[in-house]
Amino acid sequence: MSGEDRFVLCMLAPALAVLGLLVAYPVGLLMFDSFFKVDTITPHIRDWVGLKNYIDALTSKRVAESAFRTIQYSVFALFFEFTFGFCAALLFSALPGRSRWHRTVFTLPLMVPPIVAGLLWRFLLVGNIGILNYGLVQLGIIRDPDAIAWLSDEDIVIYSVSFADIWLTTSFVALVSYAGLMNIPKDLLEAARIDGANAVKRFWHVTLPLMRPVIAVIVIVRAVDAAKTFDLIWIQTQGGPNHASEVFSMNIYQRMVRFGDLGEASASGTLFLIVMMLLAAAAYWKIWRPAHA
Amino acid sequence: MRRARRFNINGILVNAAALALVLSYALPYVYLLITSIKPAADVQQIPPSFLPAVVSLENFREVLQSSALPKAFASSLAVAVLTTVFSLAAAVPAAYVATQYRRRITTLFLLFALVTRMVPSVSLGVPLFQLLKSLGLLDTIPGLVLAHTSAAVPLALLLMSAFFEGVPKELEEAARMDGCTRFQAFRKIILPVMIGGIAVTALFTFITSWNEFLYALLLTSEATKTAPIVIAEYNSVYGLAWGAMTAAAVLYSLPVIVVTLALQKQIVGGLTFGAVKG
Repeated sequence: MSGEDRFVLCMLAPALAVLGLLVAYPVGLLMFDSFFKVDTITPHIRDWVGLKNYIDALTSKRVAESAFRTIQYSVFALFFEFTFGFCAALLFSALPGRSRWHRTVFTLPLMVPPIVAGLLWRFLLVGNIGILNYGLVQLGIIRDPDAIAWLSDEDIVIYSVSFADIWLTTSFVALVSYAGLMNIPKDLLEAARIDGANAVKRFWHVTLPLMRPVIAVIVIVRAVDAAKTFDLIWIQTQGGPNHASEVFSMNIYQRMVRFGDLGEASASGTLFLIVMMLLAAAAYWKIWRPAHA
Repeated sequence: MRRARRFNINGILVNAAALALVLSYALPYVYLLITSIKPAADVQQIPPSFLPAVVSLENFREVLQSSALPKAFASSLAVAVLTTVFSLAAAVPAAYVATQYRRRITTLFLLFALVTRMVPSVSLGVPLFQLLKSLGLLDTIPGLVLAHTSAAVPLALLLMSAFFEGVPKELEEAARMDGCTRFQAFRKIILPVMIGGIAVTALFTFITSWNEFLYALLLTSEATKTAPIVIAEYNSVYGLAWGAMTAAAVLYSLPVIVVTLALQKQIVGGLTFGAVKG
């Protein structure tokens, strides 16, 4: 072992220790626990049950529903925050004078704590005092302020709770997209203009292909984050009414804390982890790779 | 601006659209600020009004004098500071060798850090709860710091690696010529140069810990619960005290927002770093 190798190892050691003890080991423990019957209160007492936890989780109606809701929530939130964010970035890049002031306002939600965003939107949507419905009445969109019960209607609550997510993360999409747009060489767009491509064509054939890796990163990062969401929804509804906004992460939490079933929570947690990894890998191969081929 | 400025309808439309977008975007948070300075009774009035009839600091007095919030702020602050210190101490040297001394182990290491960012915190929370319980660290500051550090180290690693990418190898080589060991070169030459990047990373780490909710919910209770937990409890414990809740939310989020706006350039730079390289 050369002095250089020793130096590299010494410098890596603390971070390796943290990732080993606080990430790799807990993940191992999670997978280990998933094959046992363990109670949250007495985690040292284990009974081997093999795949029972997985079978229970995969056949449970409530787990299936919460998994489906997670997909609903993520797709809905991602679609709107991407659309709004990308359009905002295009708008900013079209502004003369470089839109500094607009982007300053847009950095505001970047650091708003998620639970504050959740509280705020709950306050805007909540029955009786939620000001959003009064605003819609003023605009003539709905007839009276009780017309839409955003957070207590089981059919729409999973979409209502994503408003806070959309509000909070549109700015991230906008700022990253804007940085990407600023990186596109001006002479390429100019050449396309000289060749007679109109704005739509220029966007479709020049801007979009060049933005592909940036879009890929945004979609992967945001999809993973949206699927993991806990605090935003928790603070708005705690998963209610009648579990109608209980997403997968919340289901795992409830299983562990309310029902004290650490084994089954571990099985669900393991499944969740695996799905996330596959999702990220698939997105990476499908969207990002072709751009570098 | 090469073209002469003239009124063109397109420019006006684009400007108007951008203005409308930005205003509607800022409005929710402005409404939160306005609500927090209404008297508590006015917050719950039906129908709600956007502007306050009278300005009062009643809600702020309420949360600062008669609730668990001040103590929770102290917990949040202690956890965030300690998390930042530990995460940087671990991540800065590792990110340095991962970018300057490329070899298989460092590449794998960075890849592992990247993969870690995909791990849902609820999945990690289950075994962490168990781990802290067996160590007797549930509901303690060190316990929550450990949990937050597990999330903050990968973040700090990736950010710092991006910053170290720009450091020329010659810097260290020159220091070695002058008779420094590798450690001395890192400490005396590299770190002072990187202070800006380290500050941005520290800020990100701090805010990540400050905003974190799920681990705090799982791993703390009466003794060390953090600010977001107490704010969430206004929902249940105190009925629905919307006035107090808005004031608490403002106290909790405004410092972060002020810092964000002050350091906007660096923060946006840090955020958009990884995404637009290459």
